[in-house]
Amino acid sequence: MRDPVLQVEDLSVSFTSGGVTTDVVRDLSMRLDGGRTLAVVGESGSGKTITGRAIMRLLPRGASARGRIVAAGREMLSADERELRRARGSDVAMVFQDSMSALSPYLDIGAHIAQAVRLHDPSVTRRAARARAVEMLDRVGIPEPADAVRRFPHEFSGGMRQRAVIAMALVNRPALLIADEPTTALDVTVQAQILALLRELQQEYGMAMLLISHDFGVVASAADDVLVLYAGRQAEYGSLRDIFEQPAHPYTTGLRAATPRLDARLDSGGKRTRLRAIPGAPTSLRDAGPGCAFAPRCGLADQVGERCVVEVPLPTVRPTNEDGGLHLAACHLDRLPALQEVAR
Amino acid sequence: MIAYIARRMVTAVFMLLAIAFVTITLFFGASKDPARAMCGKPCPPETRAKVSAYMQTDQSVVWQYTEFVKGLFVGRTYGEGARQVHCHAPCFGYSFPNRSDVTTLIAERLPVTLSLAFGAAVLCLVVGIGLGALSAIRKGGIVDRFSTGFAMFGLSVPTFLVGLLVVQVFGFMLNALPYSGFVSFSESPTDWAWHLIGPWMVLSFILAASYIRVARTQLLNELSADHLVAMTARGASTRQVNRHAVRGVMVPVVAMFALDVTALLGGSVIAERVFSLHGLGDLLLSGVNESDLSIVVGVTLFSAFLIIVGNLIVDLLMPLLDPRIRRA
Repeated sequence: MRDPVLQVEDLSVSFTSGGVTTDVVRDLSMRLDGGRTLAVVGESGSGKTITGRAIMRLLPRGASARGRIVAAGREMLSADERELRRARGSDVAMVFQDSMSALSPYLDIGAHIAQAVRLHDPSVTRRAARARAVEMLDRVGIPEPADAVRRFPHEFSGGMRQRAVIAMALVNRPALLIADEPTTALDVTVQAQILALLRELQQEYGMAMLLISHDFGVVASAADDVLVLYAGRQAEYGSLRDIFEQPAHPYTTGLRAATPRLDARLDSGGKRTRLRAIPGAPTSLRDAGPGCAFAPRCGLADQVGERCVVEVPLPTVRPTNEDGGLHLAACHLDRLPALQEVAR
Repeated sequence: MIAYIARRMVTAVFMLLAIAFVTITLFFGASKDPARAMCGKPCPPETRAKVSAYMQTDQSVVWQYTEFVKGLFVGRTYGEGARQVHCHAPCFGYSFPNRSDVTTLIAERLPVTLSLAFGAAVLCLVVGIGLGALSAIRKGGIVDRFSTGFAMFGLSVPTFLVGLLVVQVFGFMLNALPYSGFVSFSESPTDWAWHLIGPWMVLSFILAASYIRVARTQLLNELSADHLVAMTARGASTRQVNRHAVRGVMVPVVAMFALDVTALLGGSVIAERVFSLHGLGDLLLSGVNESDLSIVVGVTLFSAFLIIVGNLIVDLLMPLLDPRIRRA
């Protein structure tokens, strides 16, 4: 078996402020092979972005990570500054959600891409780096790239900017791309274009992609495997097919029921179905008690009883439809009732 | 670009002419008669009328204004015969109490004001940006708390109070610094600086306060900006990222600095008074006290001109620093 491009073992991230330490990510493990896409899904505050940042060691002040992260053969958590710098932007690259704030207002588009090139290979001349930038902008489908390199971020449309950000991330052909909500700030039609572009470039470069999203629609069209996060913990992990066909965690079914679908009419024999919200708000990480973090919002907790409140469920193996696939869920229920029953 | 500058300059000329008109009108709105001060004591009405005619202050405001504007281009002659004085173009007026044209007076006073402005500006930049940056880097630390308080104090105390305190403490109590006087730079650079340390301290203390605040907030904003995280994600070192963060701090600081320097060059009335320095601020004040129209108009126009030029420089510089404000 090949070494995975990304391997995360028991990753925990905690924030310390005012003497209080809060775990925002706990005991997370994942592996991701080249050419494949792992989607990390969850609500706001579930720890998706922090997980992505932890992989690049780009955590904000006051945050610390424990566990083990191997990305493109580098131990990211124990690496020193020099090694980190070498890894960032060349082995592991990142696409940010908000392309406007991710680009410096003082540099033109070409300078951003040229910087990414020259930071990792100082022998490249400025002129050659700008030429690479033109090439790369052309590759991501920006019209008149020779002219576009001289433009500034504020002169681009949202979709063009996101293409430019992708060009910047991929110019050094990273083995792993972390795409943090890459399409969230975009129009639906542009979303589809950007996703298609990412998939196409992924095929071409054979890179692994960690796709962070809250949108099951995006996940369904781009992911091979799915990791569902709730309150910083793994709720469910499995192939896209398993997650959609036989979800084993009530949070996963809840998230799916809350995702709008264009074909909703057909589902219910011509009668319009309403979107179902997951009741309650995401559990506050600070006063997380013992037991399952999802229990207070879970419609099935009553069926299980006290166990949900006192015992943290550990990920256990669930049935899979995939050959050699791994399907894990952290729920005390062995088998979920069908979706309709959950709603009631 | 050149057309833009030319257009701005033409606007500036009209603006200055308007400022001159307002100043002259305001001056004559005051009930003091310039001739009264010149004719001495006792002052019989017929002497006063003669003096007034000689100084040409007996005419209407509109006539005064047109004469003033004419004088700017062709010069101006007061009186006739043996008592005739001529003021060469560009004539900003003639000061009878000083027996000199205003252009010469301004030129005489300029070195003092220049020295004062130069030192205060440098000191204020160093202290303001230095303390502001240190507070931002160690937010909540001792330096931050000290400089935030320092800035608050600097913004709220009046200049004359700081001036008098500096004179009292360093001049009299500690006997460490001279409390008045000016030595020209060409005479002795060390004495020049030595005499100016006090006023520099006062002016830069007042000015630095706003630089501390701007530099601190701006750097804090920059340091947490997504585009710097993205830069780190591209593989840039902390030093490279910090150097880029400076760019964002520069924009507002340069704008503020250019305007502050022009204001300083126009003369600092209070600081000059407190330290008995005879610069432009002092000249203006004496002009007001002695009802000397020519000085008031001359110094006002000079300051206004500097401010207009300062604004033009900022407007030309900003697009270079921040591409977002580049004109299409």
